[in-house]
Amino acid sequence: MSNQGGVQYSKIAEIKGPLVIVDGVDNAAFDELVEIETTEGERRLGKVLEVGNGKAVVQVFEGTTGLSVSGTNAKFVGKVMEMPVSEQVLGRVFDGLGRAKDGLPEPVADSFLDINGAPMNPEQREYPKDFIQTGVSVIDGMLTLVRGQKLPIFSGSGMSHNILAAQIARQAAIIGTDDSFAVVFAAIGVQYSEAEYFKRSLEESGALKRSVLFLNLADDPAIERIITPRVALTVAEYLAYDLGMHVLVILTDMTNYAEALREISAAREEVPGRKGYPGYLYTDLSTIYERAGRLKGKKGSVTQVPILTMPSDDITHPIPDLTGYITEGQLVLGRDLFRQGVYPPINILMSLSRIMKDGIGEGSTRADHQEISNQNYDAYSRAQEVRALAGIVGKAGLTPVDLNYMNFGDEFEKKFLTQAIDENRTIEETLGLQWNCVSKLPKNELTKVKDKYVDQYYKE
Amino acid sequence: MSSNSGLESTIDQVLERNSSEFSQSLKNSLTDAQKTLSDSLPMLEEEYEKIIADGKKEADKIEKQIIGSADLQSRNKTLLIVQESTDKVLEKAKEKISNMDRNSEYSSLIAKLLTEATSALNTSDVIVFTNSKDKDVVQSAVSSISGAELSNDTIDCMGGVKVTSKDGSMSFDNTIDARIELLKPLIRKDIAAQFNLGNN
Amino acid sequence: MVAQGKIVWISGPAVKADGMADAKMYETVSVGDSKLIGEVIRLTGDVAFIQVYESTSGLKPGEPVVGTGDPLSVFLGPGIIGQIYDGIQRPLKDLAAKSGSFIGRGITTTPVDMTKEYHFNPTVAVGDEVEAGNIIGTVPESSLIEHKILVPPDHQGGKITKIVSEGDYNLDTEIATVEKDGQTSTLMMWHKWPVRQPRPYLKRYDPTVPLLTGQRVIDTFFPLAKGGTGSIPGAFGTGKTVTLHQIAKWADSQVVVYIGCGERGNEMTEVLVEFPELKDPRTGKPLMDRTVLVANTSNMPVAAREASIYTGVTIAEYYRDMGYDVVLVADSTSRWAEALREMSGRLEEMPAEEGYPSYLASRLAEFYERAGRVQARGSPERDGSVSLVGAVSPSGGDFTEPVTTHTMRFIKTFWALDASLAYSRHYPSINWMNSYSGYLADIAKWWSENISKDWLDIRSQTYGILQREDTLKEIVKLLGPEALPDEEKLILEVARMIKIGILQQNSFDDVDTYCSPEKQFKLMKLQVDFYNKGQQALKDGASLADIRSMDVISLLLKARMDVKDDEMPKLDKIETDMIEQFNSVTGVKVQN
Repeated sequence: MSNQGGVQYSKIAEIKGPLVIVDGVDNAAFDELVEIETTEGERRLGKVLEVGNGKAVVQVFEGTTGLSVSGTNAKFVGKVMEMPVSEQVLGRVFDGLGRAKDGLPEPVADSFLDINGAPMNPEQREYPKDFIQTGVSVIDGMLTLVRGQKLPIFSGSGMSHNILAAQIARQAAIIGTDDSFAVVFAAIGVQYSEAEYFKRSLEESGALKRSVLFLNLADDPAIERIITPRVALTVAEYLAYDLGMHVLVILTDMTNYAEALREISAAREEVPGRKGYPGYLYTDLSTIYERAGRLKGKKGSVTQVPILTMPSDDITHPIPDLTGYITEGQLVLGRDLFRQGVYPPINILMSLSRIMKDGIGEGSTRADHQEISNQNYDAYSRAQEVRALAGIVGKAGLTPVDLNYMNFGDEFEKKFLTQAIDENRTIEETLGLQWNCVSKLPKNELTKVKDKYVDQYYKE
Repeated sequence: MSSNSGLESTIDQVLERNSSEFSQSLKNSLTDAQKTLSDSLPMLEEEYEKIIADGKKEADKIEKQIIGSADLQSRNKTLLIVQESTDKVLEKAKEKISNMDRNSEYSSLIAKLLTEATSALNTSDVIVFTNSKDKDVVQSAVSSISGAELSNDTIDCMGGVKVTSKDGSMSFDNTIDARIELLKPLIRKDIAAQFNLGNN
Repeated sequence: MVAQGKIVWISGPAVKADGMADAKMYETVSVGDSKLIGEVIRLTGDVAFIQVYESTSGLKPGEPVVGTGDPLSVFLGPGIIGQIYDGIQRPLKDLAAKSGSFIGRGITTTPVDMTKEYHFNPTVAVGDEVEAGNIIGTVPESSLIEHKILVPPDHQGGKITKIVSEGDYNLDTEIATVEKDGQTSTLMMWHKWPVRQPRPYLKRYDPTVPLLTGQRVIDTFFPLAKGGTGSIPGAFGTGKTVTLHQIAKWADSQVVVYIGCGERGNEMTEVLVEFPELKDPRTGKPLMDRTVLVANTSNMPVAAREASIYTGVTIAEYYRDMGYDVVLVADSTSRWAEALREMSGRLEEMPAEEGYPSYLASRLAEFYERAGRVQARGSPERDGSVSLVGAVSPSGGDFTEPVTTHTMRFIKTFWALDASLAYSRHYPSINWMNSYSGYLADIAKWWSENISKDWLDIRSQTYGILQREDTLKEIVKLLGPEALPDEEKLILEVARMIKIGILQQNSFDDVDTYCSPEKQFKLMKLQVDFYNKGQQALKDGASLADIRSMDVISLLLKARMDVKDDEMPKLDKIETDMIEQFNSVTGVKVQN
């Protein structure tokens, strides 16, 4: 923005919800950063949502509590909100607006970047195809994560999503290379203990020095959550495309983000879409999720694992629904599996990794990978049907083949799906376990795998 | 053969048969035990290795943690030094500016700061604030702008002006303090480069 | 006189400017100091309401707004094929050259390279009378497309007074002059056309020719006709995009326009990576040589999403006017509707259902009405078609939401994607009970003339089995399968075989990804034969277990992947095997 800015206005027309409406403004730009100064001299940040006819609608990130119409000043800074970036952000902890929170001075900035980023030119994208080994069998084997992908975890309240995300962050590696991940973690309205768990987990694995943490905790200002994922992704993009690092971004919990967005929309008296969320929720979410990817001619990548808790475990709720339309698949945690104590409780039938097929197979994992995965999907789907049938007609009413599928289902959940929080399985181990599972079935049931693989890997 | 002897022989036979069965079963259990033992040996070894591996894992973890945090700690120390140096530099600058001669060069700086402020506010109908030291210099600059007035109240700053529209709805802070605040990141970057902290 | 006003208000992609009395509705305007591209969408007094096609971040009231005098238009001429455009026809490659990996603002480009030379071959001579729509020459555009140079539809026509001879010319060349009533006009190899105005044609035909996609569940069960309209609604994860990609890859049209409207960036990249590698099954040439991409991904400015649909359909109509069959795939019309909703909200219009504007239905109708098989204007006489396939992304997978319900009123083929099929990895997850096609009767004649006179009958029998199974499933759910008599169990068995052997299709399998109409028919016929013979065998005393254990079943199930399109005799062999195996279970001696 070429605008020099810096003018402070003190005529506040109205304060409603998270919004401050400033009067007599004739020199403000759309999206401009605003510093609000309270009567007590406290400074808060905000941005221009709407400007014109002498009025500016300013959204205050840190909330309007304690602001009054008289005595409040709004300074229009003359630029959009920027995040200072440099390699020095690694190993640091910031608040939800990107300010140092670890008691140390602000990192020395190399450049200041617009936190909104800019849309990636689709023609300049490199199609994601590098397999990331997470060491978690069900992900590596059947829901493969690929460098540059955005693969969210759809969870419900109280389930083990953060433990899983932390495990992925600790273990993620590209096999056959020394490339390691930088981790950008954005806590969006989560509890202190959850953020602390994540931080400790990174510390213990020695990964903290290549991590950046942004913390907006449950008791931090709600509107700040609009900014938290954006500052985090700005740093991630810098690390990836300017410094050539492979960055894994974990955003938890996107449900809190969407709620903050709803709050602003309500204050602006906009016509709501479904469940009171604004009609532009999809577009808004996409400006976050689409910041994952790889670019032609650039070494680094941004891989996103956003986490969201589905209100009442409802996958058709607007937040998971619109997320699923944007992301490249989803890992859905199942309440039933969680109750049974299965970790990770991923319901594979509802889960999907859209770009898995390009990241696996000969040359990256193993030639039989796709087929053995398809066979396990098929068999597990059948096992679920058989279990349902057994619930009606009893085990005695099942055919021998049906019973094989029951055994398969048990093996699958107990040996393949289940693993310890610190268990890091190689892809070979994972594929071996998949073959163990299907070896519970008679050979002629294996219709999804080529005979040569059956001959090679089937365990009599 | 008496009935007794008949009985005895029967007993003997039974005993003999059973003893062979006993010894056989004893033999069997011995082999079984041996087999179990030999079978369990590799398992024991595995267990043993696992315990060692777990220990190693733990050690690795601690090692990583220590190395990782050592790196960070040294970086963070440097950062603190940079901060300290920046503060010192600014302190020096402040001192220098405060003690600066209010000469003609300074007057033209004040005039410039004042025009900038009025143009940002888009009006010259303003009240101008400054510190007690600069009052005279500012007054002469203010008098050349019609509509502008110098306030009797002073503000606490190193120099420069703060300008407010007469209706009080807008103000523009063009004090030297405010200007230095804007330069701060650049000054820090320069200093950091001296400490090799930074990417260039 | 172009309008020159000043910005008075900004809110996201919506801008108000005053002093715009000279502006026209839907005029393209330059907004602000950074010259962003916008379009006038409402005029009140001298205040123009403008939707801006680029990010308005940093824009300030008081900055200038300047009209261009022209409505939002597309460039139509050689060089369009193989391009990837944004929503307002800026080539993404050129944007990258100017602003790098991320899309900058205020960048102007030309839709095609004006300096590139094309080999022009005139088809008219000096003295010939031409009228709007006439072909005056041809240009080889790609290995698959011969570009016909048209007299623009709004041209008054006249007598050719000059035309260049065959040779290489760039697009700045005046290739002909035309005189009428003493007025001379010049013709180029290209012209412009406003996107919101359908291109005129001479007359419209009933759609009677199927648009073959090589996808069995589509071609055989829920066909689309050339010039027809289809919609594919589905919750996320139901394989909507894969199905659309399949249509774009294998449809037997000469030109494909693929619009990524508010969808994922990587999906467009996938098309860009894949299409040049894939070969058209009919010509063996790269698919990219017949494809135009319009990409306005979800994170690109929302207003340009609204424009992208019109940009795409106008390009489609242009190739239709050359006499080509064109398929336009729009993924997703829901995102387009959301863009309408967002602008409507900013205009503070009275909302209808779920905040969508009350004119949502009429906008959808207008869009789908641009489909059709037509006789183009001008000579030589030629027919072309535009078939429209629109994806719908119903929120929560709920088909009663406004975009789905309104779309259903204007389309004739409905492919309902089903999340539960997708969860059990049945792809394409087109639900055979909820989908429908209004073209079945119209195109049956084509199948009967070109493939088999029994086509309609066999299709009805196959579909009948699926319908019976659907009813029986309810009983099974309550009582278990053993409660059914054998002949009904056979229905379940064959329905399962039809699902695996016909309805499922693996788009990632080299053979299965495309299925010729001959093979589609034959696979279906084999299943029906199996069913009829099975019922007869049961009557003749064979047991269901015997039938179930027949080896031919696995051949039938795998034929879709094992038998290539040019190996039809292999299917005859399966038929012979089947007859033999039935004979052996019923104890009939095979007579040689």
